[in-house]
Amino acid sequence: MKIRSLILCMIVLCWMPAGCRRKTPELKIYTWADYFKPELLERFEKEHQCRIIIDTFESNESMYAKIKAGATGYDLLTPSSYFVKIMFNQGYLLPLDRAQLPNLKHVDADYLKIAMDPQMQHSVPYMLTNSGIAYQKGRVQDFVPSWKMFNRADLKGRMTMLNDMRETIGAALKFLGYSLNSRNDKELEAARNVVIGWKKNLAKFESEQYKSGIATGEFLLVHGYSGDLLQVQKENPDVDFVIPVEGTSISCDDLVIMKDSKESRLAHAFINFIHDPDVAAENTNFLSYVCPNQSSYPKVDPELRNNPAVFLAPEVKAKCEVIDDLGQDTAKYNRVWDQIKAAY
Amino acid sequence: MKRSRFPLIVTWILLLFFYLPIFVLVLYSFNSSRFGGSWNGWSLHWYRQLYREREIWHALTNSLVVAFSATAVSLVLGTTAAIALHRFSSRLQKFHYTLIYTPLVVPEILMGISLLLFFAALKLELGLFTIFLAHVTFCISYVAMVVLGRLQDFDYAIVEAAQDLGAGWWTTLWRVLLPLLMPGIVAGGLLAFTLSIDDFVITFFVAGPGSTTLPIRIYSMIKHGSPPLINALSSILLLVTFLAVFFSQRLTKEVP
Repeated sequence: MKIRSLILCMIVLCWMPAGCRRKTPELKIYTWADYFKPELLERFEKEHQCRIIIDTFESNESMYAKIKAGATGYDLLTPSSYFVKIMFNQGYLLPLDRAQLPNLKHVDADYLKIAMDPQMQHSVPYMLTNSGIAYQKGRVQDFVPSWKMFNRADLKGRMTMLNDMRETIGAALKFLGYSLNSRNDKELEAARNVVIGWKKNLAKFESEQYKSGIATGEFLLVHGYSGDLLQVQKENPDVDFVIPVEGTSISCDDLVIMKDSKESRLAHAFINFIHDPDVAAENTNFLSYVCPNQSSYPKVDPELRNNPAVFLAPEVKAKCEVIDDLGQDTAKYNRVWDQIKAAY
Repeated sequence: MKRSRFPLIVTWILLLFFYLPIFVLVLYSFNSSRFGGSWNGWSLHWYRQLYREREIWHALTNSLVVAFSATAVSLVLGTTAAIALHRFSSRLQKFHYTLIYTPLVVPEILMGISLLLFFAALKLELGLFTIFLAHVTFCISYVAMVVLGRLQDFDYAIVEAAQDLGAGWWTTLWRVLLPLLMPGIVAGGLLAFTLSIDDFVITFFVAGPGSTTLPIRIYSMIKHGSPPLINALSSILLLVTFLAVFFSQRLTKEVP
């Protein structure tokens, strides 16, 4: 008898979440894990009498696959810029109502110049990150902040580069002084030869383990993303992170609102809240990424503010570019990457 | 004759092979460094931080609610399906058998996408309920297969004997059939529960806002977030599992 009532209980239990209807409005956000400071979310919930529901994805591709297959119910997403472009072209995004977003006047105009949606018609930049080089200060002699470090034969077998064709071919293109969104076959061929030369000195192409590799000293010099490597730096002061003088890639995750959002007013309010200078500064301090909000910069922790690898010097910044979606020409990169992988 | 030590050595190597990774995981959950490979000293830091993570606990609750309810429902449906499959052998039942068998061989990703397309077509709101439906869909098959195996050496004369002695269908079911099938049902239930609680691919597609389950949460934390938190959480889950296994073994020992 007990078992039967237990089973009944379970059936009732599983219907409950579907049955309950709450009156407070809910803002449903689909984003990366740990991408908003929790205290800020609580503050927004209080100010707007709502509940924020966060769901997480681990890659743009899987998020997009799910949306494409018909998943609905999300209000706000934070895909990377090049995915925003794809999603916009497919008609998934709501055009933003600027009247509800007064704080957008704080958004960094310098960044907007190179952004893919400079008018902020359907997306607002949320967090910037750039790739760069981290190295063990005590064990790498004569370090220069340049991509040419990967030519150093004395570090052979102790260096890694990202296992990402756009980042690594992009680094070579930058090293040669070209655009990292180059579609020119000659330039790509030159970049290929450069990377093949570097490859002789690399332990491997690596996008995940390089963090622990540089933290433990298994690798002496790695190519990686600023957010990850600044965390390593916090723990191991012997690791330094720099941006190569030739320039590098900037990637940005954007705040976008889904076209079928039921709470688009609340979603607008949230974007406006995130670009409040105080909030933006607090978020930047928490994440170690940079929220491109001009008025928030003076409020950021001095330690982060004065780190040239986080807030780039203007002359370096001028050489950095956003990785753009190249459409058909992506095939050229695929081909070059295959040749690099096959080379000895 | 001297007994060979070979089997003993093989056993030890195998045990080491199985349990060493788990041991390393537990060890690293006490590491104060966030990077595997560097040891910065003992610390309970990750356990303290885990305690404060409301989203992880929310995800764990979601996972448990889905796993328990999906197991319960698929036990009932799976067992009845198995009895029907065993009892009758019409053409309809052959078709039924194919239907039950299919989810075992269909790739998960195909099942996930097709369920999502189905739910989207029905305009069903994605959430815990759709995850529950999806999990029941594949759990039924496993339960039915395990119970069917148990039924293979089941003697229907016992049921007829019970009915001869005046038992109604309910009494027959409750006092005769179910107790005899119980080992199969329990095994099927355990299988369904484990499959449900660690399913990632199907769940990823049919999950909706606010219904992130533990595997989805953990997967997204590997790229963004703090992996040692996962070590701490896994250690706690391992402890709970070991305790559960330990007590269930003691309980089953007392009742022969």
